[in-house]
Amino acid sequence: MTSSKPVLAISAIAPIVLLIIMIAFLLGPASSFLQFGVVLPEVSIEKIEFIENEIQATVRNTGPIDVDVVLADVNDRIQPAAIEPDISLKRFETALVRIPFDWNEGQPYEIGVTISDGTRFAKGIDAAFPALEPNVDLFVFLGMIGFLIGVVPIMIGLLWYPFIKKLGKNTFNFFLAFTMGLLVFLGIDAVIEASEISENHLSSIFNGELLIATVVILSFLALYGIGKQLTKKIEFSKLSQGLAISLMIAIGIGFHNLGEGLAVGAAIALGEVALSTFLIVGFATHNTTEGLAIAAPLTKSKAKIFKMIGLGLIAGVPAIFGCWVGGFSFSPLFTLIFLAIGAGAIFQVVLSIFQYMKEKSDILSNTSLFAGVSAGLIVMYLTSVII
Amino acid sequence: MQSTIQSTKMFYILIGIVAVSSLYFVVPGVIVAEESPRTFLTHTGLVIQTTGDVIDPIGYDGEALDFDPDKFMKEFDYGEVTVLDDGTILREYYITARDDQIMEVSPGVFYNVWTFNDSVPGPTIRATEGDLVRIHFTNEGSKPHSLHFHGIHKAEMDGVFESIGTGGQFTYEFYAEPVGLHLYHCHVHPVEEHINHGLYGAYIVDPKEPREPADEFVFVLNGFDTDFDGENNFYAANTIPFYYQHHPIEINANQNIRAYVVNILEFDAVNNFHLHGTLFHHYPAGTDTVPSGYNDMLTMSQGDRQILEFNYKYPGLYMFHAHNTEFSEKGWVSSFLVKENTGNFDTQVEYDDII
Repeated sequence: MTSSKPVLAISAIAPIVLLIIMIAFLLGPASSFLQFGVVLPEVSIEKIEFIENEIQATVRNTGPIDVDVVLADVNDRIQPAAIEPDISLKRFETALVRIPFDWNEGQPYEIGVTISDGTRFAKGIDAAFPALEPNVDLFVFLGMIGFLIGVVPIMIGLLWYPFIKKLGKNTFNFFLAFTMGLLVFLGIDAVIEASEISENHLSSIFNGELLIATVVILSFLALYGIGKQLTKKIEFSKLSQGLAISLMIAIGIGFHNLGEGLAVGAAIALGEVALSTFLIVGFATHNTTEGLAIAAPLTKSKAKIFKMIGLGLIAGVPAIFGCWVGGFSFSPLFTLIFLAIGAGAIFQVVLSIFQYMKEKSDILSNTSLFAGVSAGLIVMYLTSVII
Repeated sequence: MQSTIQSTKMFYILIGIVAVSSLYFVVPGVIVAEESPRTFLTHTGLVIQTTGDVIDPIGYDGEALDFDPDKFMKEFDYGEVTVLDDGTILREYYITARDDQIMEVSPGVFYNVWTFNDSVPGPTIRATEGDLVRIHFTNEGSKPHSLHFHGIHKAEMDGVFESIGTGGQFTYEFYAEPVGLHLYHCHVHPVEEHINHGLYGAYIVDPKEPREPADEFVFVLNGFDTDFDGENNFYAANTIPFYYQHHPIEINANQNIRAYVVNILEFDAVNNFHLHGTLFHHYPAGTDTVPSGYNDMLTMSQGDRQILEFNYKYPGLYMFHAHNTEFSEKGWVSSFLVKENTGNFDTQVEYDDII
């Protein structure tokens, strides 16, 4: 290392400076030269809410240029409306379009806005449903839903603990593999759900699919690092490796349930849950298997009951928060991010379990591994059909 | 050990980057201003209170749009008049086509209109039966255009097979016949595009024996497909949506009213006209002296014209609009404000002044 520190600093900064100069050149002197093609404006309607005698649409400028929103319509019929804070929307800026309208519950509506060049953008709603009033009742209701889909099923799943504990080594491996199957399914499920949100609620400018991929990988890497740290610490503490794995699973499932809670809360708030009872029954059944996933790695160690309850809460309680946040202010972006974090976390947990199994069993039985993973996937599929 | 700690730091940095970059998407959505709400009366009569802006097809800033429907409805171009040796009256008109103008077709909505004499619709050409009509046409547009007049004329004056290129000129000449309410428009392919952009106007041939004196108006029923999806975004009588609804046309009770109604709407096969509070006698294409009906509804296909004659018995505010409510709720809704008849007939057309 002969080069001095200033030289090192310059070599680090120089490319950045050059890049800034290039961007300044492209945006400044070269901008007219680079103007080819037609720049098309784009406006996305992100959210439509039905309140008393009024329809409210949240619109966002998702195009490359600033726009003015100059007209609103309901079912392609021009309606006078208010727009707050004002008609001009810079890139990414949002505004609230408030259309006084005596709407009918359960009827489909299409809400449109027209910008100053005469282009109209619209979004349809399958059935108008009164927006929920943010009050204590709704808070309790959403909390109850989160509790029912998150905490209760996981606690029920944890009750399998004494049964799994009595099993022989091969059967135990089967159950660990079963857990892997459950988790792989859950991870894929989360990615699909995130893609659906990206498709239905997120404008294309966010590159939803790429955002999912980015967050899944980042979350996987982050938890991989945290997991490594955790196993390091375990060497010095009395914590068992089984407990560490269970904790990792619980955290991963916790993120997943946060995303799921956001989605369910939003579905309730947007009135998209026509068969909410069925949906909740489905989620509850589905999530019982999550309890099993947490319980399985614990069986080789002496786990105290309160620790298990603690793990169950780590995994389940985020669903309650998810329901609250999703129900009171739905953000498709955050829901997508949390679902993707959950997916990444879950894939990392699958890897941890696999490594744990390889360490603990001298000869890893292929039969119990394959049988377990397959059974896990099938059980998850079957419980998902109920939703 | 050192490397593990560093790698952990890296993960925190990564998570930090993710958190900060996600804020980038969210922050512009935060609304800062908190003012006291202002109250607006909208075109449907609804009252809106808001701290923001009102979006409604009424111009709240009070500035006139690029086109004045009040002026257009009573403006007739009689041409430059010369009496020829044989006693024939020659009327010369000058029409220039352009296709580069941007017009505010509804408050806040700017659209590339193609115009005759900088106006959509073009000027209302008016002559008397038997007059020699000479139209000096100049194309200042970037595309070929033409003038196709309905009526009786020679094939080479039909403006269909000879389109006039950029900078080109052409003189159309024909005798004004038959009596009636006709139409002219650009007939260059694709005609739908040239009409949707605004290249059309009304053409009236008065009978030699003048019609009964009346308060006269021209209503060209048109529309604009501003986003090019093959459906009209706006409908109107005389271009500006909702204009006559919040600028009612003042007329007198018990006075003859004559409306020249031309339907040049594209994309929709049928347009219609419904008058409130009274009924009208109507003359299809204005070619007959006997009305073909007494009604308050007219159904008109593309290019159809009707002359309506009516009067109001009672003063008050009366609507006239498309009974197709889609059209009326997208702008084709107007109103007459009928006042007590003061016996002052200023507004009547004085035929003696024309020649």
